[in-house]
Amino acid sequence: MPLAHFFFTQKVDNRAPRLKNGLLDRGFNPRSTSLVFYTLVYTMNPWRKLMTKKRFSAVGFIAAVAIAVSGLVVPSANAAEEIVVWADESRGANLKKALAVKGDWVPGYTITVKAFSNFDALKDAFDKATDASGPDIIMGANDWVPTGGKSGKLAPVTLTAAQKARFTPGQLFDLTYKGKLYGVPVDVNNVAMIYNTKLVTTAPKTFGDMVAYYKANKTSKSLKAGLCVAGGGMSWGAHSIFSALGADAYQFNSRDKIVYDRSFNGTTFGKNVRTYLLDGKKSNGFLPASDAGCKDNFLAGTVPYAVIGNWEWSDYVAKGFTMNLMPVPGVVAGKPGKMFGSVSGALLTTYAAKHGVEAGAKSLLTNFFGSTAGQVLYQKYEGRPPAEKGAALDATVTDAQRGFGAAASLASIPQIGAFLNNNAGGAPYWDSAPAYWTAVLVDGKDAVTEGNKLAAIWRANTAAGKADL
Amino acid sequence: MTSFFTGKVSFVLKLIVVLLLSSVLVTLTQSAFAQKEYFIAAFLAITILLLLLTYLTKISIPLKFFLPGVLLLVAFVLSPILYTVTMSTYNYKTGNIVSKGEAIEQIQNRAFESDADGTSFDIKIGRYERKEAILISDTINGEYFISTEDNRIPLVAADLTINEYGVAESAPNFETLSDADMASADELYSLKRFKYQDEYFIALEGFEVGIVSRQVLAFNEVKDQFENIISGEIYIDNGRGNFAIAGSPDQYLEPGWRAPIWFENYTKLFTEERLRGPLISVFIWTITFATLSVLTTFALGLLLALALNKPIRGRRVYRSILILPYAMPSIMSILIWGGMFNTEFGAINNLLGTDIAWFQSPTFAKFAIILVNLWLGFPYFYLISSGALQAIPSELLEAASIDGANPRQIFRRITMPLLLQILSPLLIASFAFNFNNFNLIYLLTGGGPRAELDGELAGATDILISFTYKIAFGGSIQDLGLASAISLVIFILVASISMYGLRKSKVLESFQ
Repeated sequence: MPLAHFFFTQKVDNRAPRLKNGLLDRGFNPRSTSLVFYTLVYTMNPWRKLMTKKRFSAVGFIAAVAIAVSGLVVPSANAAEEIVVWADESRGANLKKALAVKGDWVPGYTITVKAFSNFDALKDAFDKATDASGPDIIMGANDWVPTGGKSGKLAPVTLTAAQKARFTPGQLFDLTYKGKLYGVPVDVNNVAMIYNTKLVTTAPKTFGDMVAYYKANKTSKSLKAGLCVAGGGMSWGAHSIFSALGADAYQFNSRDKIVYDRSFNGTTFGKNVRTYLLDGKKSNGFLPASDAGCKDNFLAGTVPYAVIGNWEWSDYVAKGFTMNLMPVPGVVAGKPGKMFGSVSGALLTTYAAKHGVEAGAKSLLTNFFGSTAGQVLYQKYEGRPPAEKGAALDATVTDAQRGFGAAASLASIPQIGAFLNNNAGGAPYWDSAPAYWTAVLVDGKDAVTEGNKLAAIWRANTAAGKADL
Repeated sequence: MTSFFTGKVSFVLKLIVVLLLSSVLVTLTQSAFAQKEYFIAAFLAITILLLLLTYLTKISIPLKFFLPGVLLLVAFVLSPILYTVTMSTYNYKTGNIVSKGEAIEQIQNRAFESDADGTSFDIKIGRYERKEAILISDTINGEYFISTEDNRIPLVAADLTINEYGVAESAPNFETLSDADMASADELYSLKRFKYQDEYFIALEGFEVGIVSRQVLAFNEVKDQFENIISGEIYIDNGRGNFAIAGSPDQYLEPGWRAPIWFENYTKLFTEERLRGPLISVFIWTITFATLSVLTTFALGLLLALALNKPIRGRRVYRSILILPYAMPSIMSILIWGGMFNTEFGAINNLLGTDIAWFQSPTFAKFAIILVNLWLGFPYFYLISSGALQAIPSELLEAASIDGANPRQIFRRITMPLLLQILSPLLIASFAFNFNNFNLIYLLTGGGPRAELDGELAGATDILISFTYKIAFGGSIQDLGLASAISLVIFILVASISMYGLRKSKVLESFQ
């Protein structure tokens, strides 16, 4: 052991005075490397009288204390008895409130809610989560399920027949990927059309009724538009307008089964757009191509009809509007445009098993997130329509929440991420839908030609998305 | 002064600082080790040794000054670059994120199916004959039994305490876990498969419910393949990060893992029509955009610097105002400009009395981008040009004017060449910066306008870096491997263009 020999036979006194030398005249001294090993050895064997100088005992002491302290403060991963739930800023805050009222949904566990500043921050954090930092349950949108299931970030749950009966098959389908369910539905997201009773007294029966009203009153009431999209943007929120004019994102046959290789009729749709939205080649001003300013304009009374989201109804109520909600009427009476209905869910992650709280997390999903009592308590603060059947019927659910549910029950289409996110046709639904409005209403391109392009894209996406169901 | 660096006090201080730093790093090392981040743990351990070695010994004085910089360079510059290079050779995208071991574990965890009826039982968790067991109540058939991993023990209802829902609360020899014990036994019980009948077992779905399931896939470690126990299908490692049925590549198991595919991400750039077509047009626009940006900002900056180089009244005020666009965070400026270009209520259309859809037409959008970048970039060139103008010896200019040169000649023959000599490295740096000016493109036009309905992947104003972002993160699939490959290609392009520029301008020679 020549190396050990070298270290242990050095006399400390020979080198110690060198430490007093000035900064600039210290030269390279290979032997001094052994000093650090002396320090370490002394730390590990404090009983040895190897180093007698005071400063070395100081080194040893400080090092020993530092290492001992650092050993104590190693951050631990989620403790075994803690279930960590991640949510965005509004859901997070409301979950905390609800859990403060009653927190013992799973005996023996504490539930910690981490609220992120917004929905995108939550998604971003989940994308980057590690085994130690990841949540056990995350409150997310239904279109997280395909990607989360694909990447192995979400874990499947199995509900009993009784638990399944608390939800509609469509709600469960929303959180299913390749035959496995990844969470429980918490609340329903949808849009509905609201009309301003100060301007229009009766509900329109057809799309044409609305256009006629707009054309007749445009100047006299200085209307900025006839119908606009305030909630959900020109893709998700505008689907009911696409649908009202004849363009559904995917097609169902008479038995409500999806038809994968068919799409809407681009020519019929394009002609409807020409009739109702265009004046020659230019937009007639009825439908703005963007959602910018829609909410403000509607609240100011300069737009009679608006598509609004069920998460923001209280803003309208606060301004004195009654919730006159309905689906967007179609070109013929009785065939309204279908709106996307989707659920947000409490999703189980694969981290729960790694943190050793899988059974507890599953119990929390069924006992709290998916139960009548849990959803009633939570929605008291969150104010969205609960998904669970018992909670949806509960007396605490407001008329506005019910209004959206009623509108959705008249005309809705499930939001199937596998089709909508697919871009086999060149662009996913989310990009191609707003692009159509811009192309036709702003750029003055031909409504029929563009309509046929749109139909081809959506058909290709649906056909390719089948594999991801 | 030297006493400040020597003395006993300074030695003790140094010791405290170094040891505190080491103790923090030891904490981080342990934490990284506990999280199985062995690379980071090893790096931190080496850092601690180097710190102690450098600051507690006299091994090298220069190292005492260089070490922090070197360590930070390795940690935050070199390692990301190496990681990018490595990942560009991997199939690393949504669906292929985790390691192979973890993918196998998750496939196994998911590879069960409920029985045809979806049978579920109310359960109680506890111990039977010192083994983990569950007490099962089949309330529909009124049957009760205890299951351990190997045994199923039928019970007689008369021996049990049964509640009003028909669920057994306790049984002889069955020791129910208390609520507090249950939480800590979570991991143990969640992983167990309790005996039911035939190949079916009961697995926990929470603490109250057990589900009857069976395993569908089994992993064969020797052959490194998954076998479907029921249908007999065999899923082999397809060499690209998935277990797939041989001959039908579309039938694969999820999740996959990140697996090396060598140069496929690079060859994809040239072989896949979807990428190749837009890549060429995007590359041309990137070069045009970067060149025009540098030329316009430099021209305006220089013009202003020349104008304000002479003593005029209020020069200081002008100077401060000119620097303002530079002092404001560019993100805010870009967003404000975005609002001003708005078709319906933007200030620009209002002032001009037009209704130009700025971001809908490729030409107008490109013009808007150059204009905004001019606004953001000219103060920088104004600042450095004024500095450089001061540095030109006034004797040269005087001599020229005495020799009868007019101001234009002086500028073209003397000022400009000298300025370019000084500024060309900065011009090239500005070119490299604009080549990757993601913020501007992403925030102003988002790369648009883009004819989505015609299947265009890249927008008219997409530059390489924003196009990369679109490919990597735009859709529902995040292709990190492909994005790494494009980043490296961009790196090589920018590096070679910059090198060429520096050579041409002979700046490097002048330093020799």
